[in-house]
Amino acid sequence: MPQNSPFHRPSAPRRHTTRREFLAQSGGGLGAIALAAMLGEETAANTPHKSHFAPKAKRVVQLFMAGGASHLDLWDYKPELVKRNGQESDFGEPVEAFQNGLGPWKEPTWKFRPYGESGKPLSEVVSPLGGCVDDIAFIHNMVGKTGVHSQGTLLQTTGFNLPGFPGMGSWVSYGLGSENKDLPTFVVLPDHRGFASNGAKNWDAAFLASDHTGTVIFPDRANPINDLMPHASGDYITQESEAETQAMLAQLNQRHAADRMLDGRLESRIRSYELAARMQLAAPEALEITNEPKYIRDLYGIAPDGTEWPSEINPREEADAFGRKCLIARRLLERDVRFVQIWSGNDNGFPRRNWDSHEDVERDHGPLAQGMAQGAAGLIQDLKQRGMLEDTIILWTTEFGRMPSTQGGKGRDHNPYTFTNWLCGGGIRGGMTHGESDELGYKPLDRANPTQVYDIHATILHLLGLDHTRLTVRHNGIDRRLTDVHGHVLHDILA
Amino acid sequence: MRLRFNLLVAGFVLGLAWCQQARADQAADFQDRVAPILQRRCLSCHGPDQAHGGLSLATRDLLFSGGESGEVVLPGDADSSYLLEMITPHGGKAAMPKNADPLSAEEIATIRAWIQSGADWPEGVTLSVAQVTDTDWWSLRPLSPIDPPQVTGQVRILQQGEVTLKPLMGEHPIDRFVAEKHQELGLSFGPVADRQTLVRRLYFDLIGLPPTPDEVRRFVEDPDPAAYEKLVDTLLSSPHYGERWARHWLDVVHYGDTHGYDKDKPRPHAWPYRDYVIRSLNQGKPWSRFIEEQLAGDVLYPGTADGIEALGFISAGPWDFVGHAEVAESKTDGKIARHLDRDDMVRNAIQSFNGLTIGCAQCHNHKFDPISQEQYYQLHAVFAAVDRADKEYFREPETAERYAAYSQRQAAISAQRDELKSQIESKAGKRLAELDKQIKELRQKQPGNSDAQFGYHSAIEARDDVTKWVQIDLGSTVSPEVIFLRPAYDDFNGIGAGFGFPRRFRIEISDDPQFLTGVHLIADQQAEDLPNPGTTPQRFPIKDIAGRYVRLTATKLAPRQNDFILALAEFEVLVGQDNWARRGQVSSLDSIEAPPRWGQANLIDAVHPPTPEGDSIVLQAERDQLWQQATSPEVREQWAALARDLKEVESALAALPKPQRVYAGTVHHGSGAFAGRGAVDGEPRPIHLLHRGEVNSLGKLVEPAALEIFAGHPGRFDLPEGHSEGQRRAALAQWLSSQDNPLTWRTIANRVWQYHFGQGLAETPGDLGRQGAKPTHPRLLDFLAVQLRDGDQSLKTLHRLIVTSHTYRQASTLDDPAEPTTAQGLETDVNNRWLWRANRRKLEAEAVRDAILAVSGKLDRTMGGPAFQDFVIEKPQHSPHYQYHLHDPLDPKSHRRSVYRFIVRSQLQPFMNSLDCADPSQQVDTRGESVTPLQALAVMNNALVVAMSREFATRLEAESDDLEKQISLAFRLALGRDVTDQERQPLVEYAAQHGLPNFCRLVLNLNEFHFVD
Repeated sequence: MPQNSPFHRPSAPRRHTTRREFLAQSGGGLGAIALAAMLGEETAANTPHKSHFAPKAKRVVQLFMAGGASHLDLWDYKPELVKRNGQESDFGEPVEAFQNGLGPWKEPTWKFRPYGESGKPLSEVVSPLGGCVDDIAFIHNMVGKTGVHSQGTLLQTTGFNLPGFPGMGSWVSYGLGSENKDLPTFVVLPDHRGFASNGAKNWDAAFLASDHTGTVIFPDRANPINDLMPHASGDYITQESEAETQAMLAQLNQRHAADRMLDGRLESRIRSYELAARMQLAAPEALEITNEPKYIRDLYGIAPDGTEWPSEINPREEADAFGRKCLIARRLLERDVRFVQIWSGNDNGFPRRNWDSHEDVERDHGPLAQGMAQGAAGLIQDLKQRGMLEDTIILWTTEFGRMPSTQGGKGRDHNPYTFTNWLCGGGIRGGMTHGESDELGYKPLDRANPTQVYDIHATILHLLGLDHTRLTVRHNGIDRRLTDVHGHVLHDILA
Repeated sequence: MRLRFNLLVAGFVLGLAWCQQARADQAADFQDRVAPILQRRCLSCHGPDQAHGGLSLATRDLLFSGGESGEVVLPGDADSSYLLEMITPHGGKAAMPKNADPLSAEEIATIRAWIQSGADWPEGVTLSVAQVTDTDWWSLRPLSPIDPPQVTGQVRILQQGEVTLKPLMGEHPIDRFVAEKHQELGLSFGPVADRQTLVRRLYFDLIGLPPTPDEVRRFVEDPDPAAYEKLVDTLLSSPHYGERWARHWLDVVHYGDTHGYDKDKPRPHAWPYRDYVIRSLNQGKPWSRFIEEQLAGDVLYPGTADGIEALGFISAGPWDFVGHAEVAESKTDGKIARHLDRDDMVRNAIQSFNGLTIGCAQCHNHKFDPISQEQYYQLHAVFAAVDRADKEYFREPETAERYAAYSQRQAAISAQRDELKSQIESKAGKRLAELDKQIKELRQKQPGNSDAQFGYHSAIEARDDVTKWVQIDLGSTVSPEVIFLRPAYDDFNGIGAGFGFPRRFRIEISDDPQFLTGVHLIADQQAEDLPNPGTTPQRFPIKDIAGRYVRLTATKLAPRQNDFILALAEFEVLVGQDNWARRGQVSSLDSIEAPPRWGQANLIDAVHPPTPEGDSIVLQAERDQLWQQATSPEVREQWAALARDLKEVESALAALPKPQRVYAGTVHHGSGAFAGRGAVDGEPRPIHLLHRGEVNSLGKLVEPAALEIFAGHPGRFDLPEGHSEGQRRAALAQWLSSQDNPLTWRTIANRVWQYHFGQGLAETPGDLGRQGAKPTHPRLLDFLAVQLRDGDQSLKTLHRLIVTSHTYRQASTLDDPAEPTTAQGLETDVNNRWLWRANRRKLEAEAVRDAILAVSGKLDRTMGGPAFQDFVIEKPQHSPHYQYHLHDPLDPKSHRRSVYRFIVRSQLQPFMNSLDCADPSQQVDTRGESVTPLQALAVMNNALVVAMSREFATRLEAESDDLEKQISLAFRLALGRDVTDQERQPLVEYAAQHGLPNFCRLVLNLNEFHFVD
């Protein structure tokens, strides 16, 4: 945000009399019923709602690895695969793989070693997170419904494998409302290269009110939030004209509303311009990381501003990109944003810039994983040292895992039959594993009792003080909820 | 509302139990309390249709015979009963019901008590899955003509602050229904809004555009007492009416111009459906025909463009490209994708036309409405042959007629020829038929790809004269004998066989990987174009030339879609029988790596489309000989004449103009993973009931049918054996369009009412079932439904009826709570459900955008045709990135009405989205209406508003050079009124200081601009 911007106003614009105040002042003749009706209208979507019971956590960060991150090469150590490396794979049953890529067994692409008091083995490619394992609960028996990216991604983000349902962040926004009206409740930080599969459908409010839609922030763009500042063609707009325009607009709108007293929307719209002006100040401030001290930037793996990068993908650049999003997430969380969704990887394109490593796990997972681990570890440690980890949940997820057999020698095909999630912070018991995969990481060890996304969602809502069976909205004749008709709180991962 | 469950008590022997009161009590207990729990929670998996784990709870004997784990109920010993163990939750989770919430503590206690007391199950009682069978619900009852009540309401007259009540004059039927309710509740009508208000209301409501200052003045000053009715007729006959109301329908059917899901690729031929909707509404097309065309226009109205374009309804919703194009139907993921696809078609048909939600019946019987799971899958069977794909057709009726005539003649000649052939065959013996069959099979081998790996694909060029090369490093110097180039296959843009095969090229061999020295030319096709070879492999023999590298250089690329490429399935270099390329390395000038389909590695993977001809040539020779022996010269002459006639008619067919395309629900003739049902002549896929909606849990095979929800209008189709798939769709269409389907008429009447008033008579237009809202004025709704059904069925007639009512014409500005009748209204009905005043309307996204363009003088009123794009597409090859922020707001192509906008599913247009435009991923019956800071930011700062404010200013300057006059004109254009004396002076000062563009931007942000009184 340039300092010479016309929008760097010293203070928020003056506040106008609200409709409620206006009516209170106008006194006589106002029916009590009319007042009640109007006050009812002021119970806008953005006021904090009541939780169902005492919450353990207030905020959520969802780290989403687009393309299908390999549990076997990052978190879920399988010595059996090292033993059988290169042997012809035999799953003991017919397997349907997305691209029929079922070569010999393939050992983890990187070495694993144990970390922390819990001794949890992690791949060296995510070693920065080694220092955090005692805060993390791993779930290695996640199962999905299909090996199709779009469906898998929607399932993890919205709980349904078809579009048209609200994202988890939207439900949290709906359930708990906002604590800071100057910033959106639900923020999305996409991969800087673009959106993942399904694009904005992953954070859509669908049938919830539109203000529960995830607000997309591209910190590098001239307008990091859509239309935060006037379009570049608006060179006729100056700091003075803007202040006067706002004042004149409010005046004319007030006069218009005065003849239409009982329509709360008119007053809401007047106030929305005040809030917008406040957001114009608050958002750039929240996104500004230049003044963060060097040790903090280092913690997240952020390179000096203006660093030139090679054209080939590399771990330092990935750490810088992911770390910046994580640091911005922390700043948003500090400002009471409820839900931040951070994406690593965009949709399928060429060259590959996501986790869909059909061809070469080392080439594609390597830089992405190192970058992600650095940023995620920085975020966990930073939140911890600020005392915020205890009421902030971090969820690491992806649409599915990858097969224990190789595809084409270096890659792995999709594995929706088992994959890994991990959670950390906000009421989560760290240093533990809930649910194992089988000895090859092909399916859950206990196939009858896998963990599903509904359970993850139910658990997160539970920690936020919301009963997933009671957070419902009637839509098209059905009482919809994030967990559909499923979901169990994972009590053994709760602290 | 107590629901009646379909408890089958077949052969319930009452006799013995009759004597024993205790037993009777227990029987009643079982039936009233235990059976409903089993029916609701257990029987879908452990019931008459399927018995998971070998266990069924359908009858007493089955229960007591247990399952694979042995006995499940020990009468009198609940604690040892396995059933109880299974349903008892631990940590909030129970083993059964699987993947669902556990039974409530009360339900468990009921079952425990029942087992403990002996698990009595009356003789002969058979349980079936819970199902609602009660069709006695307002929306399902037959629809009969209804007379408006004989009442007169009171209307308020406001004059100089004084309110007087006068009897409502006039005989408008709608007012009589509304007044009847008013009388019950002590309400009265508000006064008629003034003409300045009415003209703006009517313009936005009927055509979605603001009236010009002249149009306002003409209406306000019109002395004709019928001025209002005249205006209504003018607007209803405006072509802009169709544009406005088509948008409402496109919301409902979730129309979009991209597929959505992963990749979200464009649908360049979706728009003819959108234009069909606009045209149909403008024509006042009867609603029944509108329904029939959209589901089965090809069958019921053959030869018409409407009948084909309307099929865009079936395909309007999202489509999972990857789930279809990359995953075959034989795989589980492919089955899921196709199941979800049909589910969308079924929901679209039933919710749009019949206002019922049906999707939840895919896992179990509908819990609230009388829709069984089987009925849901019967509807799947209606769409079992169709996919979403481009369909070719002729817009011009004359061409379509010629096409039909030629096709008919073609069929007639073919029939004669077949007749002759069978005579010859009977002479020639079995061998001839055998040979013909073999040759036919060889030739008909599915074109297209046998596997997902298509081949190599170069970067895309804007011109065809860009030189491209791809080469193989054979590893060492060899002397190949022959090179085969195998053309690729891709349905992209309907190209198919020969996709990307270069028009001109050369092949060279060398030991220099750069091909600078020692280059030997093997093939030269550079002087003239090679026509597309299809998938026939191209053979290039080599004589005594050695080299390590073989290079194909394209000097003229193949056309793709307004652009050009080089693509190839397989590059084979044979030394003897050994293809050395298999062990080689591919390099190329450039390559699009789009796995699994395209990549350098796919050029030498031995995966390529099958060769069409092959061995048929040898067989053909034998066949010709046989033929010769079996025919006389006369017969041969006869045969040749028929062949000539056939060729003639075929060339006539070929000479017709190129057909147009619409993205529609149609039998798809594809290849590879997305084959569709074209290869089997559109034979519908077998549809099974799916237990719990799981694609691998097949229940019984179902027949196509509509819903069994109305008395007197059966859902059963009487289709003959061997009927076509189109007959299924036609049967559903006619079931929906029937006069006897009451929901059809109630649903559309309610929708129309909603768009006029902001809320439906029943508040949930997409759900008129038991979970939906009941109508406030059920008799009025029925009256309107009957008017539509029994009249000309044109929506225009309904609009005219509604907007000429006093109910519609009331003022919205009654909100002085001190005024007694307003106070009464507020007390009784603060939400105005009983219509004692008009509802103020917040303009929808499209109306806001169109009004901004209109008042700025920039609106391009061209109708129809391909959608305009207000974004820049980046990376179109894989997953297009739709970059709205890079669009130039001054691009005149984007200044058309919003209904012609290219609608991207994965990324909604940010400005429109902030104003609550419909989400094309879901059926939108009622749009949300929000007021948010992000919306304020959009209206202040979006490129469109910022740029159009300047255009608006330029327009004002062109019309006057006096600032006061400019301000006055701006108000009359944007708000339909002049600036007041009070407003004038401060605005003049403001505009003088900050300029007209800022002033115009201010006007476009006013509440008054965004709301209609």
